[in-house]
Amino acid sequence: MSEAMLPTEVVLGAWVATGLTLFIYSFLYKDNPLFKLGEHLYVGVSIGYSVVLVWYTVFKRLVWEELNRGNYEPLVGVVIGVLILTQFFPKVSWLSRIAFAFIVGFGSGVSIPRAVSSYILKQIEDTVNPLLTMGADGLSLGLDLASPQSGVNTIILLVGVVSVLFYFFFSVEHTGPGMVTARTGIYFLMIAFGAAFGYTVMSRMSLLIGRFRDLITFSGAAYGYATLVLLLITVLSLAGWELAVRLKGGEE
Amino acid sequence: MKDFARRMVAIDRRLIFLLIAGATLLPLLNPFGLPIKVSPEVQAVYEYIEDLPEGSVFLLSFDFDPSSKPELEPQAVALLRHAFRKNLRVIGMTHWITGTSLADGVVATVAAEMGKERGKDYVFLGWAPGGYALIISMGQDLYKAFPSDYSKTPTRGMPVLEGVRTLRDVNYMISLAAGGAGIEMWYVFGKDKYRFEMGGGSTGVIAPGLYPFLRSGQINGLIGGLQGAAEYETLIGRKGMAVAGMDAQSATHFVIIILVVLCNVFYFALRGDKGRPR
Repeated sequence: MSEAMLPTEVVLGAWVATGLTLFIYSFLYKDNPLFKLGEHLYVGVSIGYSVVLVWYTVFKRLVWEELNRGNYEPLVGVVIGVLILTQFFPKVSWLSRIAFAFIVGFGSGVSIPRAVSSYILKQIEDTVNPLLTMGADGLSLGLDLASPQSGVNTIILLVGVVSVLFYFFFSVEHTGPGMVTARTGIYFLMIAFGAAFGYTVMSRMSLLIGRFRDLITFSGAAYGYATLVLLLITVLSLAGWELAVRLKGGEE
Repeated sequence: MKDFARRMVAIDRRLIFLLIAGATLLPLLNPFGLPIKVSPEVQAVYEYIEDLPEGSVFLLSFDFDPSSKPELEPQAVALLRHAFRKNLRVIGMTHWITGTSLADGVVATVAAEMGKERGKDYVFLGWAPGGYALIISMGQDLYKAFPSDYSKTPTRGMPVLEGVRTLRDVNYMISLAAGGAGIEMWYVFGKDKYRFEMGGGSTGVIAPGLYPFLRSGQINGLIGGLQGAAEYETLIGRKGMAVAGMDAQSATHFVIIILVVLCNVFYFALRGDKGRPR
């Protein structure tokens, strides 16, 4: 399909997306009515979309259609769900405890063994790797920093885990060798926070790149120069709003 | 020096926003093509898919919504192109209700581009409630968890799902995750219990928290953020949205590093200066 023949709904969608992106980015100038409009629309549309999808997926597909097929299993879930709603009626609100007891009991029963296995046992298993490996030349200590399984990395990992755990161990005073260990733990934590922050910056910049890429795409003739027109409208609106605020004699 | 530093730390922060916007926009308009080095964790995902025999079942869970689209959509597109090129049977789904139509659109678009047919070569199951309970349900009976797909076609009897009863019949699974209901949940309640191999793709924000799972072998590979997507695009030889964004990513990082260094210089220059702006 040529660019000139884009369907109306695609072009309309591009205009809405461009407008809302510019409205949200207008917050970088300062809080303003355009930003608030975009923010409220985002919340409202997300909730509305979720409600519609839950209605069709859960109620229609998983409950109503199954009941029509003669499968009454979903009724168990429906009854438990309805019991939660009794919270809104004080006289029978005690019934909601049955539902919550089921949810907590089921959730704990399912989650605890799996969490212990995945988050604790498997991780401990990986933390206590052998330092030396048996090769053709006998025992050797791997010194390759790039290999996660090398002996030198195993030592770094072990020192990191022990020192960070010790930093959060408050039953003994952190003095002497204890202070050295706790400080080592702080350094490991700082490096971890730095790595996490670096990744977060990268992630946020990726989002900005994504929006800019869309804005560049929608600035073409096929989309009716949506970006350029809406950028002009946004800037003029902000200027008009700023002028109105100043004429009123103060900030909003 | 102190006067200059004082003026600089009091600079209008909107100038910094403009600087970042410029550093993002210019490379997007005029890419300069920096080289992309493939990391071992991305290579591992690629090689596992590459080694799967034709007709293997590949489950791709779109565990994100439009707010993470710029990072995870390029990953999804690259993975789907690879899977379809290898003639794998693709099952798509999502745990994030607000990402359902986005995910369906991505699968349908890439499938159309690769000449694949819904129901025969791929299926998009859509969203179903339950989170971890849904994974357990899929591990027991896929057809009870999803009696019909997103386009309301009954899943039982679909050619693409032939021989697939539970998660145990999945050959490889990847969760593209923007939060908790993603890779970790799939590992804890899926792979650990039903014994299928899995990898992950994630936003940059949650990637550092997933490296312990990668190191311990709980996931066999990890595609992290836009950078990971660009590496995967390089591997499959189809440069797309991610590669196009990497120059802008590098330029913004360069600007941020310069700003961080300058701020530290100004901070030390003003140390002990009572009149320094806060």
